[in-house]
Parts: sequence; C-alpha cells; structure tokens
Amino acid sequence: MKILLVEDNPELTENISNYLADQGMLCESANTLFDAQDKILSYGYDCIILDLMLPDGNGLTLLELIKSRKMEISILIISAKGSLDDKLSGLDLGADDYLAKPFHLAELLARLKAIYRRTKMQGFDEVVYNEITIINSQLQVLVNNQLLDLTKKEYDLLLFFLTNKDRVVGKNAIAHHLWGDYTDDLSNFDFVYQHVKNLRKKISAAGGRDYIRTVYGLGYKFDTAAL
Amino acid sequence: MRLINIVSLWFLGITLAALLIGTLVIYEKLGSEIDFELGMELDREIESYAERISQGAPVETLVFDKLQIEEIPMDWPIEDLWLRDTLAYHDAMNTNETQLKASRSFKINGAHYRISYYNLVVEADDITETIVTTMLTVFLVQLLFIGFFLWAISRKIFRPFHNSLEQLQDFTLQKNVPLSFKKSGVFEFNLLNSFLEKMSSKLLKDYRNIKEFSENISHEIQTPSAVVRGKLELLMNESINEQQALLIQSAFDNNERIRRIVKSLSILAKLENDEFETPEPMDFSRGLENVLSRLEEVIQMHAIQLKKNIQADVILQIHPYVAEILIHNLMTNSIKHNVEGGKIEVTLDSKILLIKNNGKTPSIDPKEMLGRFKKDEQHQDSVGLGLAIVDQICKNYGFNLKYTFEEPFHIIQIDFR
Repeated sequence: MKILLVEDNPELTENISNYLADQGMLCESANTLFDAQDKILSYGYDCIILDLMLPDGNGLTLLELIKSRKMEISILIISAKGSLDDKLSGLDLGADDYLAKPFHLAELLARLKAIYRRTKMQGFDEVVYNEITIINSQLQVLVNNQLLDLTKKEYDLLLFFLTNKDRVVGKNAIAHHLWGDYTDDLSNFDFVYQHVKNLRKKISAAGGRDYIRTVYGLGYKFDTAAL
Repeated sequence: MRLINIVSLWFLGITLAALLIGTLVIYEKLGSEIDFELGMELDREIESYAERISQGAPVETLVFDKLQIEEIPMDWPIEDLWLRDTLAYHDAMNTNETQLKASRSFKINGAHYRISYYNLVVEADDITETIVTTMLTVFLVQLLFIGFFLWAISRKIFRPFHNSLEQLQDFTLQKNVPLSFKKSGVFEFNLLNSFLEKMSSKLLKDYRNIKEFSENISHEIQTPSAVVRGKLELLMNESINEQQALLIQSAFDNNERIRRIVKSLSILAKLENDEFETPEPMDFSRGLENVLSRLEEVIQMHAIQLKKNIQADVILQIHPYVAEILIHNLMTNSIKHNVEGGKIEVTLDSKILLIKNNGKTPSIDPKEMLGRFKKDEQHQDSVGLGLAIVDQICKNYGFNLKYTFEEPFHIIQIDFR
C-alpha cells in the first residue's frame, strides 16, 4: 500500500511515516500543496493522508483536483480544525474518511486499512492471521474455522489489534477506537480491560493462541511471537 | 425621564423662582414709590394751604375732611414733613379707609400751625393682585413657549442625538459593521459620535481578535499535542521497562488533559461569542435518549441504576450540537461523580430537565461548581469545565440552571421557560 502524506508539520510527518513504515507501508510525504500536486501527477498512490491547513492553501483544492481527474486514490483528511463544516465539505467533495487531530497513530492505521479494504477489496475483504480469520463483509470471526460469538466491540477490538499487530496499542487509543470522542472524559480503562479479557477468553476457548499481551499497564500488544 | 423634560422642568422651576423674587421686589418697590409720590403731592397741597393762610385766609374756613389745621405753641420747633398711615373717614366711600397722612408745621404771622393732609392710598391688596396677575400671565406665556419649544424646536436640535441612539441600538458584533454617523451642527454631538465611532471599531477589532484566537487556539495547541502523542506512541514500542512505561503513561495522560482543556475552552469561547448559528427546533427528547443509549454500557459497568422519565417530543429552540454538549456533560457528570451501585434519575418534560444522582457530599458549595476550573477535591483528575459549559449554554438560551445537593443526591434542574 503506497501512501502520500500531505502535512506541513515535520514532527507529525515523522511520527506518521515512522509508524506506517513499521507496518510495512510505503509512505512518502509532501509539505506543501504545490509539492503534493507535483507528486500526485507524477506517481501513483493508493491513498493520500491530507491535512487541510497548508502553508500555500487549503487541502480541499487538492481533493478537487483528484476528483476532477477521476484518479483512483482514496483520501483520508486529517485536520486540526475539527469543525463540523470542514468535515462535511471534505466528505462532500469525496474524501473517504475524516480524522480530527490529534489522533492516535493506531487509529490512523486502522482507518487507512478500513478505507483500503472498502475500496480495493470489494467482497474479498478478509483479514487472515494464522488460525484467525476475520470476514469483514459478514462481521464474523473464525478461529480454527470455528465461528466466534463476539460482541460488536470485541469484533472491532480484534480487528484493531490485528491491524496494529506487534505494536503496543495504548489504552487511550483502544478506548477512543471503541467509543470515540464521546466518552473522552470518562475513564474507560476498566472497560478496555474488560473487553480485552473477554476477547482473549473467547479466542482461547476456540483453541486459538493467546496473542494479546499486556504491556506494563500502558496498553496491549497483539504479539505474533506469542507461543 | 427624557432629557428634554428634565431640562424643561428645571427651566420652569428656575423661572418660577425668578418670578417669585421679582414679584416681591416689584411689590416693595411699587409700594414705596407710590407712597413717595403721594407724599410729595400731599406736601405740595400743605404748602399751598400754608400760602393761603399767610395771605390772610381764615384758618377755620379752610378746614375740611382731608385737611386738619391746629395751632401749636410757638416755642415748638418747626416740624418737617412727616408721613404716616392712618385710618380715617372717607366721605365718598362712607367708611374708614387706610389713608396716608402728611403733616408739617409753619410759623405764619406770629402763629405756629401744624397742617395735616390726608389722602387715600393704593392698598397693598390691590398692588398684590395686579402684580400676581401680571406675573401669572408672564408665567403662562412662558409655559406655552416652552411647550412649543419641546414640541418643535427640540426635535430639530436633538435629532442627531436620537439618530445616534437608534444606530447604537442596532449595533451588533455579528454584523461586523462599525458605527458611522452623519455630521451634525452641534459640537457636543459630533464629539460623542466620533467617540462612538472609534469605540465601535475598537470593539469590533477586539472581537475579531478573540474570535480568531479561539479559532486558532485549537489548531495551535492541537498540532503540538498531536506531535507529543505520536512521539509517546512511538516510544511505547521501544524496548522499555516498567518504570519508563509509567513515565510514558503519565506524560500521555497529561497531554490528553491539555487536549481536553483546550477543547472545552474553545467551546466555551464559541458559546460566549455566540458563534453558534440561530437555534432551530430540535427534538430534545430524542437527543437525550441518544446520549443515554450511547452511555448505556458505561452506566451498566458502574452498576448504576438508571431511571428514565422522559416525555416524548419535547421540542426546544436550540442548536443540536449545543444540546448534545449540554446533555452529554450533565450525564457524564452524573456517572463520574456517582457511587458504585448508585442511582441516576432523569426526568424531562416540556418545562424542565431534572437529573438526580447519588454522590459523595460535595466539599464546596454546589453553586460554586458552575465556575471555571472549580471542582470537588475528590475529583482532581477532572478538567473542571463541564459545568461551566453547561452554565454558559443555559445563559445563552435563557434557561434557568439550579444545582443543589440533598443528601445523598446531587440535583441538577434546568427550567426551559
């Protein structure tokens, strides 16, 4: 998956590039609108991560360019403005998703993969890892070909872990992924713990390996090296 | 009271006082002037009688009701003109009347005569009557003039002032147009207007600055906060020990706190600046149900018993996003500050929203909790802006917010009016 990151803040660019590169994605970056246009017209990308406030203009003009040329590039808007208007006009213009800053890197990756599955793998969007198979079109999980009875939250959680496998996923990131901004000011960590515990129990009960590991109270990790 | 009425009343009052003083002065002056003139006249009469006596006219035949002649001893000194009021019989009117009596003595042909002459005086009553009538006429005429002045002239003079007032009333920050007045012929009004013009453009400039600040602040702080968050997430994936993990978690939590504070402050600023568009009719019942259903899981996990008494189709004039913030802040508060196994009671009808929940006895007066960054000692980890936002929303929409504690319940009541 080849990605162009359009973002003017060098620190943020570095964070995102590092995280995505670790997940085996090819990530290039542009820090101005002009630079971004240049790259889009010269190379092909699967997805563009687009910041709206750029030093030489609004990112939405890039969106218009892509749509007017009917390029097959998915677009994920990241913006600090966070106002509803921006979100709506971005989605109206044909962006695939919108993420308000600041976001968790794990969340960004999950959104990117979700866009990728939606646009590139119509009908065949299965995520398979060893004995675990997630069939997205049916919201089902199979472990050793045995159907797991998961709640919606547990399903989302497992997909989130698999998307970010071998990375430490913070409790905050999980809480945010499952409940959104909405429960920001309620400490959700007990629920996170509860959901992770249930998920692990259900996978083990179906004979799956216990991949999910606690990392010092910081968060959890889907550890492919688990035995 | 209108300015012109105050001015007129004062003017009339002062005029009245001046007229009263004038009346007294005129009365005094007129009285003494009349007495003086009359005295002169009497003196001339007395002199002419003295003349006639010296020419040999017999004294007895001269005397009549207005004239008295008496002989006094020769060795008395000659008396000068002496005037006094006296009551004397008046023939024509057939009564005793106040009269002025003048007397003087003459030494004529070896005899000493005191000649006294009377005459009617103009009475004080008559003078008073005349003066009061005159003054009243003057006063009434003045009243008429002032009335006319009020009605016609003042309109013309005060027109620029009234125009300024009207424009001032129409002035709003949202329109973003500074005041501008036409030049009038009155120096003071021009001064006032130019001051108002300057003030309004300064006000607009400040308002724009604050608005810009509240718009930018989220961007300016969110970006570095996002950077910090990203760095910490990358750091989590390095090989770290438990000690380092604790440090990372603490830094992470505090960064999240900054983010929440900035978010809340920018909502507060937006509310204070009235930046949310005009309210539209909104199904508040449904909004409340939506929030409750989203919080259902959290409520269950805290083993909190939720009792709902929500009337359907309560329509309020409120911006939906603002309504959501209001309900969400109140509900999360009632969960956060609840006790394990406690209760929440939500009541809604077309007049009030009532949220009642278990909770510890507050360490400060519940009223104070509506202020910014005011929070109970037991909840130092919360940001302390939730209720301030609720308070501001209620102010914006004219709702009446009441927060009380009745052991063991915290009660929030909002009257929609």
